[in-house]
Amino acid sequence: MVVLKALALLFWLVIIPFLMGLSVQWILPITKKTAGITFIIGYLLSFCVFEVIGIPCMIKIQYSAFKYCTRIFVCAELLIALIGAINLVQKLRYASRSGQFTIGVDNSVWNKVKTGFFLIFPGDEKSEAEALMNPRTDVRAIRLQCSKEGLFFWGVFFVILGFQLVMALVKAPFDGDDAYYVVESLLAQQADVMNTIIPDTGVSTPLPMRHAMAVFTMWQAFIAKVSFVHSTIVAHSVMPLVLIPLVYLVYAEIGRILFSRKPDSLPIFMIFVSLFTMFGNTSIYTAETFFMMRTWQGKAMAANLMLPLILWAFIWMFDDCRKPGYLWKEETGGGKVFVRNSAWIILMMVNMASGIMSSMGTVFCGGLSGFLAFLILIYTRNLKIVIKIILAMIPSALYIMCYMLIKMQ
Amino acid sequence: MYGIFMESYVIFKQYGGSGYLLVLFAAALIYLLFAEKDMRKKLPVVIAPAVILFMYFVPFTRIAFVAIFDEATDTYYRILWLLPMGVVIAYAGCKLFAEHRRIGVVAVSVAIILCGRLVYKNENMLKAENLYHIPQLAIDICDRISPEEGEPRVRAVFPEEFIHYVRQYDTNILMPYGRDVVHWQYYNAVYETFQKPEVINAEELLAATREAKCRYIVMYKNRDIDTPLEDMGCEIVDTVGDYNIYEDPEMVD
Repeated sequence: MVVLKALALLFWLVIIPFLMGLSVQWILPITKKTAGITFIIGYLLSFCVFEVIGIPCMIKIQYSAFKYCTRIFVCAELLIALIGAINLVQKLRYASRSGQFTIGVDNSVWNKVKTGFFLIFPGDEKSEAEALMNPRTDVRAIRLQCSKEGLFFWGVFFVILGFQLVMALVKAPFDGDDAYYVVESLLAQQADVMNTIIPDTGVSTPLPMRHAMAVFTMWQAFIAKVSFVHSTIVAHSVMPLVLIPLVYLVYAEIGRILFSRKPDSLPIFMIFVSLFTMFGNTSIYTAETFFMMRTWQGKAMAANLMLPLILWAFIWMFDDCRKPGYLWKEETGGGKVFVRNSAWIILMMVNMASGIMSSMGTVFCGGLSGFLAFLILIYTRNLKIVIKIILAMIPSALYIMCYMLIKMQ
Repeated sequence: MYGIFMESYVIFKQYGGSGYLLVLFAAALIYLLFAEKDMRKKLPVVIAPAVILFMYFVPFTRIAFVAIFDEATDTYYRILWLLPMGVVIAYAGCKLFAEHRRIGVVAVSVAIILCGRLVYKNENMLKAENLYHIPQLAIDICDRISPEEGEPRVRAVFPEEFIHYVRQYDTNILMPYGRDVVHWQYYNAVYETFQKPEVINAEELLAATREAKCRYIVMYKNRDIDTPLEDMGCEIVDTVGDYNIYEDPEMVD
């Protein structure tokens, strides 16, 4: 039974988000088609879809709202994941038919797996030394190999990450707010309600709008329900194992852009970030304290996942600014509109997903997006930025409007 | 305005604790301000945090924040979450020691460790007793009173040390008061008679628990009470750890 539950968790927390990411991977430029980014956008998509399904279910359905929410969301996730799976199979079949798996001398299984992996995630492919020596190669479009020293530092980072994950299991941080957030999840799982019972006592209540719109608790309850694991275990023991690496994945993507030409600096950057996270407990208020002690709470994720995602999207946009035309064309597969604006689309998804974390998160993410967009506008002097940021902020605006409307009723 | 500025400053100081990590962040920011020449990196990683930090101290920001977030507790410190402190320090560290990576790794790591405070040393970081991350004693007590499948939910009074945990384990156990009463000091008759007095008045307690329809009372074995609950008609269902679980026969149905 334990194995089945673990497999169910693996399915819903790793495989499904991955396949969901694959379904929208086409928006990414080639250099960004990596396993990490695919996983990140898969999670973002999952949060966005849950917001669209969860909030209406919560507001409109009076009885057994969570049961219907779960059913609809299962269908939606499976459907999107299926699209991703079909994309994946099509790519592999096309590659197989065109003989890409049999090119070269090495015909081993490992080589075939490697070829298949880089077909799906071309952004992860590191350049060989010959490519660097070729005068026709543009070094800005290739990913450089890591030295042995760099690999050693990656090892150090993974030791720190492993330590944090073990500590997340063996330590039980006490936080009074769990009596609210975790119980909301458990109520959804056990009583099929969506925020309509007071967690402290168990008495029925009208929707508490201040917290109800942030349906991250319900997303966790969904994971608990479909994997048959107690919601409190999901929140306290499973979520840190997923969310801590996910947050570091975002930092790794930030670092990848900052150190695009110095790949050996990236693991060092990650070591510093992970140490800062672990030693950032200078008070109960810091984002790092929230991250390590309340990983499963929406506000902790708003501060530690959503805000870094916004920073990443803008670092990416700044990085894309004033790239030479030929390089731009190569990266964006001929300059398709969606691919050229993939960072903006991701920004839109982040703004949307921040709503499920906390209502304050929506305002913070919207504010930070607006401010960074203002800086990019000054830098590029491209007025199209105004239109793009307005479009990217639509989810936040709708969320706040919805919040105000319901509050006024 | 000066008063509002000082409020922001006090919150900033509280946020930083010892303050060394904030100093490290400020040093990293100043270093990058001069060392980073690529505006594409400088704008989002250096200029933006510097402006946000400046805006944090501007009194109008605090006035607007309080107006937008009409909350009972002061959450202005959350503006500081917008500062990517980890990214700034890590980026500055990598840049400063770009030519001496090994020395840099040690130096910056030591600086972060010495300036910061390990999260696992936090007094609220307890040892996990199970995967629920709630005390095993709370689980054992809940297991004893939890209704069977198909049975109606039960309401039970718990001492303050358990109220955060009970419903994280089983929502079929209702409570007459939760952490809201303790936190916000709302009036609650059961809390007033059970938790507040040094010596419990058994008659008043039972009147309150019956009014709230509590079937069980979980009480520390040596809790001072004027008349034992057994003498008032309650039955001891079980003793788990140092706690007696009483059942009120009048509330069984």
